[in-house]
Amino acid sequence: MIARLRADTRTLPILALIVVIFGIFASHNATFAQAGTYAAIFAIAAIGLSLLMGNVNQISLGQSGFFGIGAYAVASLTTTWNLPPWISWPLATLIGMLVATIVGLGLGFIALRFRGHYLAMATLAFGLICVGVFHETKFLGGAIGIEDVPYPSFGALTVSGYPAYWFAWILALGAALLTLNLLRGRSGRAFEAIRNDELAAEVLGVPTRRYKIFAFAYAGALAGLGGSMYAAFLGIVVPDAVSVQLSISLLLMVVLGGSGGVSGALIGAALIGFLDISGHQFENTREVVYGLLVIVVVIAAPGGAFGLIRSRFKSKPLAARAEAASTVAATPIAIGTPPADGAPLAVSHVTKRFGGLIAVNDVSFTLTRGTLTSLIGPNGAGKTTLFNAISGIGRLTEGRVEIAGIDVTGWQPHRVAALGVGRTFQNARLFGEMTVLENVVAGAFRTERTSFGADLLALPSSRRSEREATDRARETLARLGLEPIASTLAKDLAFGDRRRVELARATASNPWLLLVDEPAAGLNASERSALTADLLKLRDAGMTLLLIEHDMRLVMSISERVMVLKFGMMIADGKADAVRNDPGVVAAYLGTAS
Amino acid sequence: MFQLLVAGLTVGSGYALVALGIHIILRATRIVNFAQGEFTIIGGLLALTFVQLFHANSWVALAGATIAGFALGLVFERLVLRPAARSGEIPLTIATLGTVSILLYGHALIPGWGSLPQPLPSFSGEASDAINVGGVSIQIQSMWVLGLLLAALAVLYIFFERTYYGKAIRAAANNPTGAKLVGIDVTNARAVSVGLSIALAAYGGTIIGPITLVGGAGGTAIAIKGFVGAIIGGLESPVGCVVGGLLVGVIEKLIQGLPGVSYGLSDPIVYSLLLVGLLLRPQGLFGARSAVRD
Repeated sequence: MIARLRADTRTLPILALIVVIFGIFASHNATFAQAGTYAAIFAIAAIGLSLLMGNVNQISLGQSGFFGIGAYAVASLTTTWNLPPWISWPLATLIGMLVATIVGLGLGFIALRFRGHYLAMATLAFGLICVGVFHETKFLGGAIGIEDVPYPSFGALTVSGYPAYWFAWILALGAALLTLNLLRGRSGRAFEAIRNDELAAEVLGVPTRRYKIFAFAYAGALAGLGGSMYAAFLGIVVPDAVSVQLSISLLLMVVLGGSGGVSGALIGAALIGFLDISGHQFENTREVVYGLLVIVVVIAAPGGAFGLIRSRFKSKPLAARAEAASTVAATPIAIGTPPADGAPLAVSHVTKRFGGLIAVNDVSFTLTRGTLTSLIGPNGAGKTTLFNAISGIGRLTEGRVEIAGIDVTGWQPHRVAALGVGRTFQNARLFGEMTVLENVVAGAFRTERTSFGADLLALPSSRRSEREATDRARETLARLGLEPIASTLAKDLAFGDRRRVELARATASNPWLLLVDEPAAGLNASERSALTADLLKLRDAGMTLLLIEHDMRLVMSISERVMVLKFGMMIADGKADAVRNDPGVVAAYLGTAS
Repeated sequence: MFQLLVAGLTVGSGYALVALGIHIILRATRIVNFAQGEFTIIGGLLALTFVQLFHANSWVALAGATIAGFALGLVFERLVLRPAARSGEIPLTIATLGTVSILLYGHALIPGWGSLPQPLPSFSGEASDAINVGGVSIQIQSMWVLGLLLAALAVLYIFFERTYYGKAIRAAANNPTGAKLVGIDVTNARAVSVGLSIALAAYGGTIIGPITLVGGAGGTAIAIKGFVGAIIGGLESPVGCVVGGLLVGVIEKLIQGLPGVSYGLSDPIVYSLLLVGLLLRPQGLFGARSAVRD
């Protein structure tokens, strides 16, 4: 579980208790009950936006569009079809959520192309288009909207007025619980990994594009649910109610409450709901205060109200299970099996150009299983570019890459990773806001067997998978002697530890082929020898390794084979000794007299 | 047809100035200011105050609103943009949205401004005066708007291309580190850029005021259409922003003039252009390829 969700998990029951107390208190006060109902409705939409903003680092100014889709689906369906009351609203709601989900998938797909303020604009356009469509569509009532939407009713219970408060909050807390389940499992960790470092997540096998699209669809579905409740409880929908102003209100709730997780969204929605009723006679002043509040929060407390609460939970590390884990230290290294029998890695005639610059020029080589090969060369020789070409980062200009005999040319990095390929980066791209243990668990992403649905409902299979992944990560940490720092945030690590943690993360999914980019850079002598031992252990267990390194002593002492790149071309390839004495290599490193 | 074109260019002038203002702030600070349209509204209202309170003529009101806009821009930069910049791009975007809320609802609280749109006096003659060009009558005010737009563009061009200070601001925007090394006060240049941008917004709000009325809740629409213009033309290109803004005005009026098209459809169609533009050519008609996705 991501560290910052711990506070969320503990706060949710407290918030539920507040809802109950407020509900009892509001039983004789129709204004309060109604305000509470609206807070719940908007909270549901805000939870989706909070996930989008705080967990996946995407912004949306188009949530009003999804809210509108849900609202209009319920309004138009329940006023036109003649279904029994107990099924009418639930069915219309499901249809509305389904449409919102599908539209959310579409918007999420489009959103992949934008970041930051471009994304804000694109989603804003979406919200504007939606309200324009509602406004101009005849059967949706045009500017007048749809009136006399029937209240949901189940037998003797008609959900309006005071009962609506309980009904709405049961749904809101239910949505909060499900979302929290999702965030606490593998999906949530993948989101967190994406938020921290998209590329590193992708290379660990996280299909980042799919996850981002999913986040939009999920946020859309929740906004749709909010909208469907709004239409049914209020009995009327007009285009103005789902204008962009609503998107901004939702944003306001998430910012004030604190994005990421669910408690912030609930707090924000309740806060705005409360301010709304207490300031209803000061209409314009109220909005000015909201604007000021947002600016102050963004500047002074970017974590929002819940961020302030959460900071109180910080002093509780997850040391509780450390002793139990120390018993597993002796487990042997597990190496995955290649998907096919071909050579682990075959690169043929690979060329990569950046504009006029040829970074990698017609390079070919084939690795032998269970060997450690080093790739050396002066700075700018194209070593990392070649690694990127192998792991699917960026397109090849020419050539092809085969892994275990499978042509992976043009594959996305997560698919390459899924074959059982691990990789580290020159600058150790750890997930800074996650602990060492969480980083390593995230590394095991592709070996975890669970699904969105199982995570969402916290099914036993999801929890088992979670437990197994955590245990495996502890084993990996124990083997590398990294247990003492398991609960340190990655951004607080010393440099040498960062490297070793990254190696642990890259091996957590039991790869059989590992690409290691300058692991020894910046390490001191003892750290280097520990690293050398780690790498040799992996090789001896049967892993195929390709290593970029500048430290010649290290390279020559552990490599079966050394390849030398210079200006993108392979100038030598062979046994360490032969390469060391190759005149071309000597010239490349020391320069020639001529 | 010609009449629609002129009407389009007239409203488009407002969008063009908003788009250009967004561009100037973006260039200097890498911030997209969602509140640009609201500042346009505030500018028009400032001009109204000069007219009502000091019985100033239109020209004095224009100058006063522009200068006041500059001051407002400096305040905006110092109190909102600069402190929020530390929190990152999304928080910054949110802070400018908070500014929208303050300006949109706050202006109605100021005595004399209210929440209903009011007319600004014309720059010459009556608001309805028109001249006849080849059988088409064109409002004098439209001529003023276009003329004043061109005048502003000329001044900006000279400032940024010909004066030392303008070049320093551009240098600070293009390469902050390099500019610092040669002794340019980058922080100051940023503040002045934002001031200029808001001055431009105020200027724009004033020149279109006699035709479109000032005040009311129209700022969001102006801001978004300014965005559409900036995206179509190219957020990173000043020429693109102006052309894009004018284009949006023309497209809007042409759609409204089409027989059989509901008047209310013009806005959704114009807004879809934002999405279409972003998808098909995110760098805009005049933008370079590299400007995307930053």
